[in-house]
Amino acid sequence: MTTITGLGLVLLMLMVIVGGRQGWKAFLSLILNFGFLFMAVILIAFHLPPLAVTLVTGVIILAITIFMGDDDLVTTQTAFYASLVVLVLLVLLIIPVEHWAMVQGFGEEDSDDLEGMSILIGIKFLKIAVTTTVLSTLGAIAEAAMAIAAGLAEIVQQHPQITAQALFKNGISVGEQIIGTTFNTLFFGFFGGFLALFIWFAGLHYSFGEIVNNKIFVAELIMVLVSFVGVILTVPITAFVMGRRQQRSLTK
Amino acid sequence: MKLTHIKNPSTKWLLLVFLLVGIVAMFFVTHNQQLYQKPIGRVIKVTNGIRQKQTDTFQNVDHETNQKLIVKIMNGKYKDHKVTLTNEFSDSGGLDQKYQRGNQLFVNLSSSSGHRLIGTISGYKRDGVLVFLVWLVMVLLILIMRRKGSLAFLSVLLNGVIFFIAIQIDLSLQGNHVMLIFGVLSFVFAILTLLLVLGATKQMLATLGATIIGTSISVLISLAVFSLTHERGMYYESMQYVTQVPRPLFLAETLLGSLGAVMDESTDIVATLFELKSLDPAISAKKLFLSGRKVGQTIMGPLVNVLFMIFMADTFTSALLYIKNGNSWGYTFAMNMSLGTVQSLISGIGIVLAIPVASALAGLLLGRRVKA
Repeated sequence: MTTITGLGLVLLMLMVIVGGRQGWKAFLSLILNFGFLFMAVILIAFHLPPLAVTLVTGVIILAITIFMGDDDLVTTQTAFYASLVVLVLLVLLIIPVEHWAMVQGFGEEDSDDLEGMSILIGIKFLKIAVTTTVLSTLGAIAEAAMAIAAGLAEIVQQHPQITAQALFKNGISVGEQIIGTTFNTLFFGFFGGFLALFIWFAGLHYSFGEIVNNKIFVAELIMVLVSFVGVILTVPITAFVMGRRQQRSLTK
Repeated sequence: MKLTHIKNPSTKWLLLVFLLVGIVAMFFVTHNQQLYQKPIGRVIKVTNGIRQKQTDTFQNVDHETNQKLIVKIMNGKYKDHKVTLTNEFSDSGGLDQKYQRGNQLFVNLSSSSGHRLIGTISGYKRDGVLVFLVWLVMVLLILIMRRKGSLAFLSVLLNGVIFFIAIQIDLSLQGNHVMLIFGVLSFVFAILTLLLVLGATKQMLATLGATIIGTSISVLISLAVFSLTHERGMYYESMQYVTQVPRPLFLAETLLGSLGAVMDESTDIVATLFELKSLDPAISAKKLFLSGRKVGQTIMGPLVNVLFMIFMADTFTSALLYIKNGNSWGYTFAMNMSLGTVQSLISGIGIVLAIPVASALAGLLLGRRVKA
């Protein structure tokens, strides 16, 4: 048995013990997301347009994460619509930012790993950089949208006559409660994985100027900051979508 | 809805201040060449050569083009001198760049025999993008969430500083005791972050306890699985940027990577249970435990996926390169994604375990208070 299988079985077992039916679904969503992510690599390798693949994969991954994460339809539908809006806004931000930063492909520090490889593969790495940045934010957007939507759905349940304006304000205050911990989830998630790179920088005495202009570092920090933007935007947008929904049900 | 928000006069002023700060910051970062020791030049003229077709052994077709750039140096000894540089770029651009007029580049200069200045390109100036994005994050954060938003950003900055210090300590010990350093570091991170988010309260203690116990058990379980399966299918040689012994470094990366998510979840569960307790002071420990589990069930799936997407997105580019270099899907996975998968699974175990631990801790803590 490989380590991955072993750990996978342990995770599955724990998820089912702690989460019951929800645990099964959580595990399944993880496997499905992996499948679609890997498929995106394959499709782009077959020269399908990266942006189109990114958008389709992005919508699918958001749908899997959100609809398999909760049973409440009000929560999941609201979260899904809101996260789609955020996805579009982020893509509009990421494309110019990646063109400006030119952090596509690999850096000097990668040259050891690239030995013997052909880099001229005829696929624009700049487009791939857009893809990876979009994909890295998806989980965070889905999670934030669900947290806000679930909180608001509960408020609506307890106060069915609440106005859309009041609901929007509540959404922001739910957002204030989750933003601190969400930021830290992202910070550690990204920087934990790049510990080795930071040790490299420090060990070889990169100056501050070299680090803030380094291709790999800037690429990574762009992902972190764009994820921050995504999560922040998710708060008012989810609150707004929930407000619209409430307005419609009030006028009915 | 949003309009009423903007009509608020203090928001209007804030917006104006931010706009000014943004303009000043962008002006500064595009005119900060004097702060750099390395010569920086602005491209003032570009002449592209002929686009030449390239085909590699795997039938990948690409094109390469030569560029002649005339660059005006903006700082240092050779300020205002012009120098001609050559550059080659490909369509795919994995390791090269296509430069355009107005781009600012770092250059290596040497004035050889005679008076002619010659130079090579060493990199592209990217600090402006970071300044812009940091500005954008702060504007959005403070406009939408004011005080809580600023606190969140502050805690991230603080963690960044500690992270930096820990790396210095790690280097001064020459990579020994990596796990010990980053284990202690995780503890410090958790305490500081939770203090900032929750303040010194009972709630914070319960959250901290859940985070530390959950993470520790998940690391122990993972180590047990590692030794039972003899770490088959774990390719430490595929780890990037390794300058120290890879195995402890990998474990430290995993530990840090999952820490934020476990804290996130414990915070949510414990906060909900404290709220339940305030609504119904007579609530039993068992009932609290069950409610905590219920909260955890809905968060765990999305949270595991957050980390999974972060860990996996980083491997996307090199996985694509492997496939285009004629490698099988299996080998591509093993060499690029296996470590990321292991990281996601270990983090997942930590996230799931934190649910019963947080629920039990909060249950016990609040239950005891009723009896007293």
